Amino acid sequence: MASDTPSAAAHVFEQTEMLLNMGPQHPSTHGVLRVLLKLDGETVVDLDCDIGYLHRGVEKICEHDTYPMITPYFDRLDYVAAVNGDLVYVEAVERLMGVELPRRAEYLRVILAELQRIASHLLWLATHALDIGAATIFLYAFREREEILKIFENFTGARLTAHAFRIGGLQWDANPEFVRDVLAFLDILPGRIDEYETILSENRIWLARTVGIGVLTAADAIDTGLTGPVLRGSGVAYDVRRAAPYSVYPEFDFEIPTGDTGDTYDRYLVRMQELRQSVRIVRQAIEGLPEGSVMAARVPRVIKPPAGEVFHTNESPKGEIGVYLVSDGTNTPYRLRVRPPCFVNLQALKQLAVGHLVADVVALIGTIDIVLGEVDR
Amino acid sequence: MSGPIALHWAPQAASPPPPPPVVPSWSPVELIESIGVPHGFAEYVVWPAVQLALILFVVLTAVAYLTYLERKVAAFIQARLGPMRVGPVGLLQPLADGLKLLSKEDLVPAGADRFVYLAAPVLAVTAALGLLVLVPFGAAWGTVTDINIGLLFLLAVASIGVLGIVLAGWASNSKYALLGAMRSSAQLVSYEVALGLALVGPLLFARTLSMQEIVESQRFTGLWWVAVQPLAFVVYFIGSLAETNRAPFDLPESESELVAGFHVEYSGFRWSLFFMAEYANIIITSAIAATVFLGGWSMPGLETAVSWIAGTDATTPLYSTAFTLLSIGVFAGKVLVLVYVVMWVRWTLPRYRYDQLMDLGWRWLIPVSLANILISAFAFLVAMRPDQGGLLGLVEVTKNGLWMGWAGTAYFLLVNLATFAMAAWLLAKLNKTAWSTDLHALRRVEALRRAGRLATAEEARAE
Amino acid sequence: MSERRSIGSVLSRLLLVDLFKGLAVTLRYNARALVEARDGADPTQAIYTAQYPKERPLVGERWRGAPKLNNDPRTGESLCIACNICALVCPVDVISVGQANREVRDGEKRKKKKVLTTFEFDTSRCMFCGLCQEQCPTLCLELTQEFELAVESRAGLVWDREMLEKGIHVVTYKK
Ligand code: SF4
Ligand code: SF4
Repeated sequence: MASDTPSAAAHVFEQTEMLLNMGPQHPSTHGVLRVLLKLDGETVVDLDCDIGYLHRGVEKICEHDTYPMITPYFDRLDYVAAVNGDLVYVEAVERLMGVELPRRAEYLRVILAELQRIASHLLWLATHALDIGAATIFLYAFREREEILKIFENFTGARLTAHAFRIGGLQWDANPEFVRDVLAFLDILPGRIDEYETILSENRIWLARTVGIGVLTAADAIDTGLTGPVLRGSGVAYDVRRAAPYSVYPEFDFEIPTGDTGDTYDRYLVRMQELRQSVRIVRQAIEGLPEGSVMAARVPRVIKPPAGEVFHTNESPKGEIGVYLVSDGTNTPYRLRVRPPCFVNLQALKQLAVGHLVADVVALIGTIDIVLGEVDR
Repeated sequence: MSGPIALHWAPQAASPPPPPPVVPSWSPVELIESIGVPHGFAEYVVWPAVQLALILFVVLTAVAYLTYLERKVAAFIQARLGPMRVGPVGLLQPLADGLKLLSKEDLVPAGADRFVYLAAPVLAVTAALGLLVLVPFGAAWGTVTDINIGLLFLLAVASIGVLGIVLAGWASNSKYALLGAMRSSAQLVSYEVALGLALVGPLLFARTLSMQEIVESQRFTGLWWVAVQPLAFVVYFIGSLAETNRAPFDLPESESELVAGFHVEYSGFRWSLFFMAEYANIIITSAIAATVFLGGWSMPGLETAVSWIAGTDATTPLYSTAFTLLSIGVFAGKVLVLVYVVMWVRWTLPRYRYDQLMDLGWRWLIPVSLANILISAFAFLVAMRPDQGGLLGLVEVTKNGLWMGWAGTAYFLLVNLATFAMAAWLLAKLNKTAWSTDLHALRRVEALRRAGRLATAEEARAE
Repeated sequence: MSERRSIGSVLSRLLLVDLFKGLAVTLRYNARALVEARDGADPTQAIYTAQYPKERPLVGERWRGAPKLNNDPRTGESLCIACNICALVCPVDVISVGQANREVRDGEKRKKKKVLTTFEFDTSRCMFCGLCQEQCPTLCLELTQEFELAVESRAGLVWDREMLEKGIHVVTYKK
């Protein structure tokens, strides 16, 4: 805007707004998100998200990879909830092929998926609290998450990108210590959740930073297409595990926590409740874990689903993750498309943040719980 | 107040005031003189130089090890071990850090105001270290100098340090740094007031601004002023957290929002100067708190402990040395406890938002400290001896300090309760909603605020 | 002001009870950290971290780490039959198998047989998904429990057959 004419120079001084680039290298944008803020003082007047720094073209890659080769890519969409990503993909392919899974495989899948949900929510809590300045919660939550990662490591062979499931079941049966480890973890976790809540839930600073911040009414949330804890925080009890049950979820007894006003504090409470509900599900699944094989009997060596299409959705920790799969009968999909919850939820950021302060933007990015791997794909 | 309505039934300050407690008379100046240095030169040049060198050395080492302590405290709180690799249990870590920082490149961002940019950290650290000269580290020769407006001077110079931060933020030519500096100056303006007002309370009792005499007054009365001014202590402590930019008030450098705030562009040794200033400031504010509220270097039983070591003759060099060293130890202990609390708070609590910080300062801390001053002053007036202008005669002003018997002490402790109740009432009147724990009320307030901010932004644009 | 304030709630708010509850949790951790044993990686202890380069963690048996080409323990020859399945199944084309047809004597008969010549494995692009080891018909290619794969040059990330058979040289710290 450099100009020598006096009127233009005067205009510069008249301006009260400032553009601030938050990210892509910023500690609180949870990856490589770039948020362009227009500030008036510290008040956010306008906001624009610039995404795509992590775009790898996963959907296109999938078009020329065989079906088993695609599973690892789903680990890397939402890389902090890899198991849930795997689950939705293998279930979509299985639905297309009409494979019936042994019950043990289904149970193990549910256990792993719910553990992953706990891990993902713990990571969210850790980073959200860190954004708001409570650094210690960060390490406490990481400690508990570490236990889950150890369980994954022993079961699947990797901690983060687990590649837990194969089309038609699981690669391995549970390792011998699996049940013991999971039960030991379940015994510890509720006490630890209490600990986090002692530090945060009543803390006046935490309340001041979250209560009333980023209020989203139920109608707005539905209009924007939000799902997951962000939607439930606004009071809509929509959870794919209940609304369109998949796997063996109907066999378990659990509740769907909802908030009432839809502010950051409600979303915090919802996720804390979900942690406890996931503990409940895992415990039931471990107790009812059937014996038997973990791989469906009739899965061909080369997977060629019949021509057709399927849209399958799951409840990932971030929201409703969907896979749209078109098969032309060959060993590679004709088209694969992911409905990423993070991408959709991120669209609410502007709605949430305008009128709040810079510090709140950080809290709001945290409360949406995005993973850029999934936003950018 | 005296005259007809003076009540003479009240217990006059039970017994006559005792003589002032002993202060050892010998000082190392005599030692320096004994090797032939002329008196004035020894007292005003040589000895202070030795003291300053010692203090700078000790404090700079302490600052380095505070970073170590901070990391260890954080680690232990967070289920970690902290630095363990350099030296036994990581004890040489500060040295390694220092070497690393010294060998790093000193970057100046393009478009920065070069001179100001380079000078700002020096200003910050000079202001912090310059204050050390007035801190009463110990009795007798444990203090460099003692001027009659010591506390005032400390507060005045301490605020120069913030100038360093503001200049750094301005000169960096970076928006994050600018926002940090902006926050810092606003924070300073509001919390300096609360801080100063909080100190007035104990000064009513100490009746002097000289740091050494504040300690002596508490020693004479046999009471730490925190007992009679707990509210002021809390306000001072919160204010000092904000003054030194520590969590939950570390907004100028909040790493999750402003990345690192005012020092985001700094690197290498200049960056470490800011760190040194921050830790030195923590030491100094803690030292002021220890001096004004916690009895400074005095401690019940200190004299007894010294007499075990060095007998009872207060004029011998041994007595003086033992007394000084022990008192320095006591003082260091108190400061360390306060510093630990500061770190402990930092690693537990989330961070306030900028406007909430202002709220807390202007609508909570300043009214409380004002109320505290008014009520304390009134209570003090009532308690004074009728012939000194008071009413009850529970406390007597002597030239060595206040003298109050058990009745006076009990009276002031009761006054604390009254102050607490009145302050609570005042806060309730001032902060109708923020005061409530009702979440729905809080939500409404936030929604209103957001709407208000949007409206002002809209107006500004319309113009 | 819909909520009725009780004396208790007002007092607890004035006395900062909510903050002190949190502070008590952290203080307890701090105190426990000073007295408890620190074996590392035990979630019930106050200190959870292990001193990594000194104490090497035991990774799971199924861990997918550094690749390895196994030799037949009896003959010492490579188990690989150069079937190229691993290269085909790899989603990111990490593996390239070199093969040659050689004449081998089997007793009296002479046979033409495909044998392995070179084997390249680019660890910089491998995502350790484990598909290759799953598909290997002879259990030759294996992802081992070794997890320290850092090298000093980019080229060093491409492992040749010799490296794959011997394994990477890992420096262990004792101090
Ligand atoms: S582990 Fe996966 S990515 Fe790596 S070489 Fe094997 S198949 Fe390819
Ligand atoms: S799959 Fe196994 S046998 Fe076949 S080429 Fe690869 S390593 Fe060799």
